[in-house]
Amino acid sequence: MTLSSLVLRSMAKNIKHYFLYFFALIFSVTLYFSFITLQYNPTVLLESTGMKPAAGFKTASVLIIFIVVFFVLYANHLFMKRRSKEIGLYQLIGMSKPLIIRLLGLENIILWALAAGIGVGLGFLSSRLFALILMRLLEQQVVVSLTFSTQALKQSLLLCAGLLLIVLVQSILKIRRVSLLSLFNASKQADERVKRFSGFGMVMGFIGLVAIGYGYYVSTQLFNLENATVNTLFIRMIVILAATIGGTFFVFRFSVSFVLNLVRMRKKGHLSITDVLALTPIMHRMKGNAKSLTLITVLTAVALTVLSLSYIAYYSSASSAQQSVPHDYMLMNGHGVEFMDMLEENNIAFKSVTFPIIRANVDIANLLSGSLAESGMLNTDAETDIISLSTYKQIHEDFTLQEGEGVIVNHGGLLAEMLPMKSNRPATVKTDVWQESIKIVSISDESVLSTDNMSAVVIVTDAMYDRIEASTDQSKTRWNEQIGINLLNKKEDLNRAEVLYVESGADAVPFNTNAEGKVYYKENMSQEQSRQFNIESMGVIIFVTAFLGLAFLLATGSILYFKQMSEAEDELESYTTLRKIGFSTSDLMKGIYVKQLFSFGVPLLIGLAHSFFAVKSGWLLFGTELATPLMITMGIYIALYSVFALLTIRYYKGIIRASL
Amino acid sequence: MTILTGRKIKKIYGKRANAQEVLKGVDLEVQEGEFVGIMGPSGSGKTTLLNVLCSIDFATEGVIEINGRRLNELKEKELATFRREQLGFIFQDYNLLDTLTVKENILLPLSISKVSKSEANRRLLELTKLLGIQEILNKYPNEVSGGQKQRTSAARALISNPSIVFADEPTGALDSKSASALLKNLEDINRGKRVTIMMVTHDPVAASFCSRVLFLKDGQIYTEMYKGDKTRQAFFQEILNTQSVLGGDGYDA
Repeated sequence: MTLSSLVLRSMAKNIKHYFLYFFALIFSVTLYFSFITLQYNPTVLLESTGMKPAAGFKTASVLIIFIVVFFVLYANHLFMKRRSKEIGLYQLIGMSKPLIIRLLGLENIILWALAAGIGVGLGFLSSRLFALILMRLLEQQVVVSLTFSTQALKQSLLLCAGLLLIVLVQSILKIRRVSLLSLFNASKQADERVKRFSGFGMVMGFIGLVAIGYGYYVSTQLFNLENATVNTLFIRMIVILAATIGGTFFVFRFSVSFVLNLVRMRKKGHLSITDVLALTPIMHRMKGNAKSLTLITVLTAVALTVLSLSYIAYYSSASSAQQSVPHDYMLMNGHGVEFMDMLEENNIAFKSVTFPIIRANVDIANLLSGSLAESGMLNTDAETDIISLSTYKQIHEDFTLQEGEGVIVNHGGLLAEMLPMKSNRPATVKTDVWQESIKIVSISDESVLSTDNMSAVVIVTDAMYDRIEASTDQSKTRWNEQIGINLLNKKEDLNRAEVLYVESGADAVPFNTNAEGKVYYKENMSQEQSRQFNIESMGVIIFVTAFLGLAFLLATGSILYFKQMSEAEDELESYTTLRKIGFSTSDLMKGIYVKQLFSFGVPLLIGLAHSFFAVKSGWLLFGTELATPLMITMGIYIALYSVFALLTIRYYKGIIRASL
Repeated sequence: MTILTGRKIKKIYGKRANAQEVLKGVDLEVQEGEFVGIMGPSGSGKTTLLNVLCSIDFATEGVIEINGRRLNELKEKELATFRREQLGFIFQDYNLLDTLTVKENILLPLSISKVSKSEANRRLLELTKLLGIQEILNKYPNEVSGGQKQRTSAARALISNPSIVFADEPTGALDSKSASALLKNLEDINRGKRVTIMMVTHDPVAASFCSRVLFLKDGQIYTEMYKGDKTRQAFFQEILNTQSVLGGDGYDA
């Protein structure tokens, strides 16, 4: 038998073990090739104006390299361990180590050449699909024409060659270092598993749980400015990362065994078959599995967090736009009122609301919690936009205010998170002449005006409004009037109205004139313009993160699958014994379901919890909607992840069926 | 009362040209309370016969009845239940689960039965006392000696009060002292509790503990010997003589 026929035969025999690995390789190459193709595609470059997608793709392709390298190293490590007996046998019958290295090299070259070929082919086909998806995300309607990019081919081949080299070096090192005897025992070495459970482990397990809880607690306080100094945010982030990642490791290393051991001790020796197949192997393997499970959990958490945040940003495009531009159009200081005439001329029905605005200092110190106001970090006494009750009543007819009362609106988003205010407390209105305290009866995040820094707006009674206006110099107030225009038939008229809006020149408002008479303009986007701007800037990001997330998912899922595969083989003997003494396949499978639920479920669950708290602490920086995009992201992730669990269960079923 | 009946049991491995007939029509009966040994040269089909009788393997032809149930009429799932409730097993390499403690290993067959916990504990106490392994109940298999492992295995085989216990070379991996201790235990249990035992062995010493020994040669029963009222020593001599008649060549030892 020649070397090459030996290689082909062993590959054919191992194909069952290889197929997921092979699939993951192909997927990585496909993704890499597509991203590089898009990166060099002129159509994609021209059409998206908001951002530079090329930069996004470049980052993504670098990240893919990282994921793939990590994945391949780990997978190859597992494969080498599994095949150690085979390698030992080759040596025993007199093959030299260099020959074996050549054998493995040949195998890997075949594998990688196939993966590269198929990956590039699929990549070329899918890059068009990817481009379509991207354009869809960006709400652009263009025909994307793609040509085969030789640059992409070159880089993909380079990637494959580099990875092949890494795998070979890893295999060579492994083979050269180990002795014949240890090769035969390698698959047993991880089985120093049966140990008693000590009190020390229990304490550590408890600490792990506490650490995670503490990390979560700090994450909810991340943007709390009480007792904050400049470095606080940074320190808190470090604490959160250390506590959660460290805690995760401790949980896997100690807590799981600790909890399971408590359950087991309560059974006093009367274990059910499910306990035998799920509980005890998990307990005893935790020591060896802790590191990789921690890694998988952290990767899952990172992928989920990034995915959720970018999807939140994308999903919030419309509502963020609504928050910064509360009405379909906002005309500032009467500039561009021609727009309304143009709408009428074109028979576009609309409703307009005029908001006269004045500014005065309002001291909100009493609305904030004690230490925050005293910290001196904030200027609580700032110029604030004020509108009258009757103005507000134009949009909320039934709204009423008593004399001496006021309401705060426009207080939402990150600001509201960082400066939580309490209602039913007094705020002080300070005019040039007098100051007076009003009771703030409610605080809401309703967006009423288009303000410069998303700052709050105070609503006061008409009498108070008049008195403030009379006693404060309003000449410096930049925006003294806003006209909110809402289309009545938005669906039909929006596109025409958008054109008119730009024609009327209302989209740029003059706000300053310098000494030489040069006029400065401020961009005054319509709500739709603002939404499109958000979509364009977030579309590329959600696209890139989605595919990266998929690569992460594939890597972690495959690793779990490989691990379970070798566990199944290690436990083959137990399955044989159990079946001999009279347990049926379905009895054993019941235990396997529980075991897989645990093996896949726990890393997923902890990963979900981590990312939930991470997203919750920072989502306000990214968008305005939390629940729906978070649930959609997590739902899709869980669904895809479950595929791996099902594959594993199928594998176990085969093993158990064949075990007697 | 007959516990086990086998009629014209044939086992053929491979197909047509490659077919190899390992069992060539074995007939046997085992009465309640017997301690039957199966001996024979290697390749004579001892272990195959045991596997076929205990339903781990299927006979190509023939009928096997245990306690009035015909094995070939049972489905896979029913067979599993039957094994769990009616049969006990002791293997050469113990086949204990190393993630379970000795106690958990012994109680394993009861895990999906309707036996109450207190009844299970009573049986556990009785068996471990009989086998002398009360002290190691909370240890893991890798913490105890080979003899203790095999006694654990025996306790596991007996915990479900089986109609018959099958033992495949139970002393094969033990030193002679542990081996005779274990055999003594099995003998006591056979006599004291009237448990039927069927044991494959190549060791004449082990076989001399049995009440009857079957000799297998080339897939057929060559002869059988009863211990009767003979002493173990005399029976041992008799076994040795038969063995020498069977031919020393190819004996595993």
